Amino acid sequence: MENENILEVKNLCKRYKGFELQNVNITLPKGMIMGFIGENGAGKTTTIKAILDIIKDYTGEIKVFGLDNRKDDKKIKENIGAVLDDMFFPEILTPNDINSIMKYIYKNWDSELYFKYLTDFALPNNKAIKTLSKGMRKKLEIATAISHHPKLLILDEPTAGLDPIARNEVIDIFQNFIQNEECSILLSSHITTDLEHIADYITFINNGNIILSKTREELLEDYGIVKCSKEEFEKIDKNDFIKYKKSKYEYEVLVESKKAFKRKYAINTIDKITLEELMVLMIKGEK
Amino acid sequence: MLGFIKKDLLMIKSNIKILAILLLIYVVMAFQGQMDLSFLLPFMSVMIMMSTFSYDSYNKWDAYAISLPDGRKSSVKAKYLATIILIIATTIIITILSFTISYAKTNIIDFENITGTIFGSLFATILLQSLIYPAMYKFGPEKARIGLMTIIFCVAIIGGFITQYVDLSSIINILNFIEEYWIIVFFMTMILMLYISYKISERIYFKKEI
Repeated sequence: MENENILEVKNLCKRYKGFELQNVNITLPKGMIMGFIGENGAGKTTTIKAILDIIKDYTGEIKVFGLDNRKDDKKIKENIGAVLDDMFFPEILTPNDINSIMKYIYKNWDSELYFKYLTDFALPNNKAIKTLSKGMRKKLEIATAISHHPKLLILDEPTAGLDPIARNEVIDIFQNFIQNEECSILLSSHITTDLEHIADYITFINNGNIILSKTREELLEDYGIVKCSKEEFEKIDKNDFIKYKKSKYEYEVLVESKKAFKRKYAINTIDKITLEELMVLMIKGEK
Repeated sequence: MLGFIKKDLLMIKSNIKILAILLLIYVVMAFQGQMDLSFLLPFMSVMIMMSTFSYDSYNKWDAYAISLPDGRKSSVKAKYLATIILIIATTIIITILSFTISYAKTNIIDFENITGTIFGSLFATILLQSLIYPAMYKFGPEKARIGLMTIIFCVAIIGGFITQYVDLSSIINILNFIEEYWIIVFFMTMILMLYISYKISERIYFKKEI
């Protein structure tokens, strides 16, 4: 039977001095976009580097397209496009140079598509990468990552440094890419509003541990923030909320199910949650 | 593999204007008798390749390369092959220029002297590259550059010591023995140096935490 998951990470562990990735599990089905969120240093880039087999001495099992990421390295990478944070071609090269190089690296490199993206993004063909703005450079990295018709895009902060218009252009490209139901995207980003629009799954990593992995609907429709007074908060059973944060005038309480909470408590101010609020409460909140 | 070699060659090409200006200055100096062109071969090829290491390191190319098909296997091999291509190209240019300058200045071509010096510089170039590349992969371009200067300094000190205090007759005997086969020994030694250096660099790269 054909594997329905494009990416499976099982019990991934990696130890650095002062930081440890602990039993990370990720499952990304075909045709889906997974938003990978977490604060700086939480382990997002380390996880991505392990999937791409860039780092050494990690344990656990990583399967991409049903194949082992270490044994079938070449076959897997022919079908992956990656945008990595601050890692790219030497900056004295030009977009034209990248085309001349990549056509010998990827079997499916599509020069026509690559130059189409350069035109769409208004990127110059012959200027050195070092002369491009941060946003232009990011767009070049994205154009490079998707011009060999990959089946899996692994993107580490792809929208960082882009203005809202460029971010929209890039998100449109990701949405077009996902029209092919055989393709998937693993997208790590701090800009959680982008993920609220496009991600099907949200995986949240904190301090090297996956603390939450759910569909966007489950998170944004079911989870909620209860806003209440101190007296009201004290009446809430500890088992009925995940985390809380005390602000100047009220308590913000993160609950897993708005409906279940409403049935049990007579507190009416329950708001929908945004991913940013979720991140802040999960990291900074108390229990 | 070809893509990775091409990347290094394109990096060299993007510095071609600076290299052409440098070459012109040296040619003028050589015409005036202030400079021996043979010095240019190790100097240019080592400097050019070191700059590619610096750009790679600055833009974290090594990590990006591994995300590409066959990246881990091809990166080091491509760097050595690009180096060989560069050395062949610079040797041809320097040889042509040396003969031309010699003829223009004296109306005769001192074939033996020029080829001797070119072979000497070729050997020095490959020795330097073979020593410096594993250090580049192990410690990065900044520290390796300091290492290179230390190596040159130490070799000069040891060389000076040997010529002054050590009886060189036994070495001369060996050299006389290999004289007949010198060209084979010469090229075999260079190939062996590069091969050992490549294997060490590859081992470092495969084990390195990028």
